[in-house]
Amino acid sequence: MTIHNPMPAGQVGRSLPRLEARAKVTGRADYVHNMRLPGMLIAKVARSTVAHGRIVSIDTSAALQVEGVFAVYTGEDIRKIIPEPYYGPAFHDQPILALGKVRHVGEPVAVALARDAHVAEQAAQLVEVVYEELPAVFDEVEAMDSKAIVHDVLKPAGTFPDLKHLHGKKNTNIALDFHLKRGDVEGAFASAAHVFEHEFHTQQVMHTPLEPMVSVGEPTRDGLIIHTASQSPSFVRIEISRLLGWPENKVQVKVPHLGGGFGAKLYIKLEALVAALALMTKRPVKWSLTMEEQFYTISKHATTFRIKSAVDAAGKITGRRCDVYWNGGAYADIGPRVTQKSGFTAPGPYDIDNVAIESYSLYTNRPPAGALRGFGIPQLVWAYESHTDLIARELNIDPVEFRRKNILREGRPQATGTAMKDAAIDLVLEKVAERMNWSAPFNRGTGTVLRGRGVGIGFKASISPTTSVAFVNIYADGSCALYMSTVDMGQGSDTAMAQIVAEVLRVQAENVRVIHPDTDVTPYDMATLGSRSTFHMGNAVKLAAEDAKQKLEAMARSVGVPDGSNLETREIFKKKYGMQAGNVMGVGSFIPSYKSPDSVTGMSDNITPFWMIGGTGVEIEVDTETGHVKLTKLINVADMGRPLNPHIVETQLSGAAIMQLGFTMFENMEFDAGQVTNASFADYKIPGIHDIPPDIENHIVLAEQGGGPFGAKGVGESATFGVSPAIANAIHDAVGIRLTDLPLTAESVLRGIRLKAGNPIGD
Amino acid sequence: MISFELAEPKTLNEAIALLDAEDPEVRPISGGTALMLMMKSGVFRPSRLVSLQKVEPDYSRIERGSNGSLRIGALANLSQIEHSDEVRRVAPVIEKTMRHLSNVRVRNVARLGGNLAHGDPHMDLPPVLSSLGAKAIVAGPSGQREIMIEELFGGYYETVLKRDELITFVDVPPQAGWSSTYLKCTTRSADDWPALGIACSLRIENGTIGDVRLMISAATEKLTRLVSTEKVLRGQKVNEATFERAAESALTEAEVIGDSRGSASYKSELVRVYVRRALRQAGLGVTQS
Repeated sequence: MTIHNPMPAGQVGRSLPRLEARAKVTGRADYVHNMRLPGMLIAKVARSTVAHGRIVSIDTSAALQVEGVFAVYTGEDIRKIIPEPYYGPAFHDQPILALGKVRHVGEPVAVALARDAHVAEQAAQLVEVVYEELPAVFDEVEAMDSKAIVHDVLKPAGTFPDLKHLHGKKNTNIALDFHLKRGDVEGAFASAAHVFEHEFHTQQVMHTPLEPMVSVGEPTRDGLIIHTASQSPSFVRIEISRLLGWPENKVQVKVPHLGGGFGAKLYIKLEALVAALALMTKRPVKWSLTMEEQFYTISKHATTFRIKSAVDAAGKITGRRCDVYWNGGAYADIGPRVTQKSGFTAPGPYDIDNVAIESYSLYTNRPPAGALRGFGIPQLVWAYESHTDLIARELNIDPVEFRRKNILREGRPQATGTAMKDAAIDLVLEKVAERMNWSAPFNRGTGTVLRGRGVGIGFKASISPTTSVAFVNIYADGSCALYMSTVDMGQGSDTAMAQIVAEVLRVQAENVRVIHPDTDVTPYDMATLGSRSTFHMGNAVKLAAEDAKQKLEAMARSVGVPDGSNLETREIFKKKYGMQAGNVMGVGSFIPSYKSPDSVTGMSDNITPFWMIGGTGVEIEVDTETGHVKLTKLINVADMGRPLNPHIVETQLSGAAIMQLGFTMFENMEFDAGQVTNASFADYKIPGIHDIPPDIENHIVLAEQGGGPFGAKGVGESATFGVSPAIANAIHDAVGIRLTDLPLTAESVLRGIRLKAGNPIGD
Repeated sequence: MISFELAEPKTLNEAIALLDAEDPEVRPISGGTALMLMMKSGVFRPSRLVSLQKVEPDYSRIERGSNGSLRIGALANLSQIEHSDEVRRVAPVIEKTMRHLSNVRVRNVARLGGNLAHGDPHMDLPPVLSSLGAKAIVAGPSGQREIMIEELFGGYYETVLKRDELITFVDVPPQAGWSSTYLKCTTRSADDWPALGIACSLRIENGTIGDVRLMISAATEKLTRLVSTEKVLRGQKVNEATFERAAESALTEAEVIGDSRGSASYKSELVRVYVRRALRQAGLGVTQS
C-alpha cells in the first residue's frame, strides 16, 4: 500500500489501532441491546401478511388475554398522542403503525408490550387483522405506469427543496424524477459510428448489520430520552420533536457503540414507535428487531438501468443516455435522494459531451429501500462498467485502453457541468492495471477450469449540502475531549477524529477522549452516511481543535506567558484561575459550498465538495461444468486523499469490497407475493471466511483532497464500486458469456455457457 | 402459556418413558442447535423437552471393534467424532467431512443422534454414514431395533422414528477394501447448506468395481440411495467411461427438486458432474472438487 508521510506532529497518517478495540474484544463496550432500565417494557410488533391491502379490522382481544401483557396498541392509538404519525427523511409517508392500509408484507400493524419479550411476542402473534387485498406492484419498471398505486397522494417532507414540486401529486408511484440534459444526445446517436444499448438489473439485498436495529424510549419528567443504535442522532431528535410538536431541547438522543450500520440505521427507524410507546405507557420501552425482521425494515434498491452509448470511429464515446429505475419499496426513506444524488453520476467517470439522464424513484409493494454502502453508486457502476467492457470487446479495443481513451480527467466537466477537481480517476485506473500486470500475458486455464480477469472503476459525489459541528474541550489538567455526533459504527471514526485533534493540539491521539453522541452534550451532525464524516466532521473537528488551541494561546498571553513558551497547559490554567479549574472550549462548524442542480437541465457548476474514486481488478476461475466462479485475486484501489489512518483505511477498503462481493455473487432477497422467502441467515447467505479470495491487495493512490482535513476524504464506500462489473467482465473474459443481472450465481454462469455452446439447460 | 417443561433424566430408559408417542409437542433435545432455531422462529413450541445431556455416558463413547468396525454413541458431539483417532482409522472420510460441516461452535455442541433424527436432507453425515454402510441402533419402549441410515428418512424433515424412540448408537461396519468420498456442493456462500451432496464408497477388486454404495442428499427430498446407478457400476472396470455411464444414470435416477440454491434442472447438471467427480475421487484417488 502507498503510504503518505505522517503530518508534523506524527498523529495524522499514523496507523493507530482503534481506540475502542480493547473494550470491544473484551465484551466491555456498551450497546443498546444490553441496556436494561427499571420497569422497562419490551415491544413486539404484529406485521402485515399481505403486500397491499386495506385494513378491515384489527382484533386485539386475544392478544390482551395473554397473561403478563401490559398493552396492545394499533395505529389509531398512536394517533391519540401523535395526530399525524407519519415520518421519513424525504417524504412524510411512513406511519408509525399502519393506518387504514398496508403497503408491504412485514409492515408493523400493531404492537404488544410486556415485561417479558416472549409474552410480548406471543401476544403480537395473536393480533388478528382482516385485510381487503388490493392489486400490488413489485417491479420498478411496471410501477412506472401500474394501475396499483402504493400511495394515494405524495407527501414530500419539505426538508429538501428539490422535492417540492411533487407535493400533493396523485395517481403515480414516481416518488422522484430526476432529469439531466447536456449537449445533444440524439444528435450524437445520429452521427455515431457505433451505437450500443444494454439493460442491466440489480437485486434487492439487505445490510445485515450483525447487531440488528434496536431503540429504547425512556420518558423523563418533562421530556424523552431515546437510546438508539442510530447513525443519525441529530436527525432522530429533529424528527421526534417534529412528530411530538416539541422543542428539540426536550428530546435527548444517545448512541453508544453500533454493531454495524451500512446505512440501515439512518434517519429514523424504530425511534418513532418507542418514543410514542414510552409516552403512552409512561415506562421505558425497548424494541429490538430480530435478524429476520430487518429484511422487512430497510434494504438496498433493486434497479433496472437502460444504457445507450454513441461511439465514434476512433473509439471515443460521444453520447450516452441513461434510464435508471430504482425500486424504492413501500416507503421512500432516502430513496429519492439516492435517485438524484447518485443519478447524476449514471454515465460514469467518462468524458462525454452529450448526456441525457432520466432517473426515477418508484414506490412498489416491497419492503422499503434506502442507503446501503454506496448510496446507489454500486448499482450504477454495475451497469456502466459492464456496458463499457462490452463496447471495448465489440470494438476489439483492450478494456483498460478503452477506458484510458474516454476517462474523465482533472478539470474536465462531469455530466452536471461541474469541473472535476481532486479526482484521481486516471491514477486509480492505472494502479489497478499495474497491480493486475495487465499488459503481461495471462494464463487462461485449461480443461474445465478457465481463467479470466476484469476491471471496473466508479466514482461518487459526496452528498451535499450537509453540516457538521464539533467541540474540543481542554480541561484544566491539559487533558482534552472531543464532543461530536459522528457515530462510530465500526468504521473507526473515533480513532481518526482523535488523530485530527491530536495533530492540532500536539498530543497523543490515545489520550484524546471521544464523547459519544448524546444530543444533550454533543453538537449537531447531519448523519454518519455516504463517507461524509472524514471530510465534513473532520473539518469541523480540525476547526474546533484549532479554535481551542488559539483560545488556549490567548489565555496564556493574558496571564503573561510569552509566545513559544513550553509551559505545560495545566500551569497556564493555574495561572489563570489560581487552581486546577476552568475549561477552554473550541468550536468548529463546517458546511461546504454547493449549488443544487437546475430543475430542468440538471446542470450545476458546483455539484459536490469532493469525489470518491474506487477501482477493482479481479482474476477468477470458472468451473465450466458447474458454473462456479472462484475469485483468486482482488485488487482494490481508491483515491481517498491523504489517509488519516492507513491501517483503518485498508480495512475499510477490503471490508467494502468483500461486502460487495456478497451482493455480487449470491445475496438476494427472494420474494413470493411480496413475502421474503429467505429472510434468515439460514437462507440468505453473506460471505464467510471461505469466500474471501486468497489474494487481496488494497491501494491508496498518492493524492490529496483540497479542502479536506489534512488532505483527507471519505473512503467507506469506494471499494464497493467496481467489484460487481469487474467480476462479470472477468467471467466474460474467461468463458465468453455476459451476465446482465445480479447476483452472478453459478447457475446463471452455467446456463450462459451451455446456451453459448448450443446445448442449453432446460427450465 | 409459553413456558414448557424441561426434563433432565439420568438414564436412557427414563428419557424414553418421558417421551410421548402421540404428542408432537414433546421432543428429545441433545445439542439443540437445530431445535433452538425452530423454537426461536416459532416453528416449534414444545410442551416438554426431554434433555439427553445427563443420561449414561455410554451413549457418547466412540469405540472401535477388533474387526475394524466402529460404534459411535448417538450423544457424541461432532467435534468429538472429528477428532477421534478411532474414527479416523476406520473412516477418514468422516473427519474430512467434519471440517466443512457448519462451524466449530456448532460442532462442539451438536450431537450425532440429533444430526440424524432432525431429518434435514441437507445434513452431511447421513449420506456419508450411509455410504459407509452404517446403521442406527434405536431404542424405544418395546426394545431395540436397527435401521440402515438410508432407511431412516421418510421424507422432507421426516424420519421413520416413532416419537418415543431414540437413536442410541451408530454402527459402522469394517471398511477394509473400501474407498470412500463425500463431495458437497454449495452454490452461494461457501458455508451455505449444500445444494447437493454425493457420497460414495467403492470396493475395487482387480481394477473392477466389486461393490458400491452411492448416496445423494440435499438436492432430493430425502437422503436417497441411487440403487439403479449402483447396478450400472457393479462389476465394471474402473475407468472414465464407467463413471460417465454412472453419471448419466444418476441424472435420470435422482428425483431432484429446485429451491433457492438452484433450479431442479441446474441441480440435475450438478448431479451428473458431482457423481462423476466423486467416483473418480473414490476410484482413482484423483482429488478434484
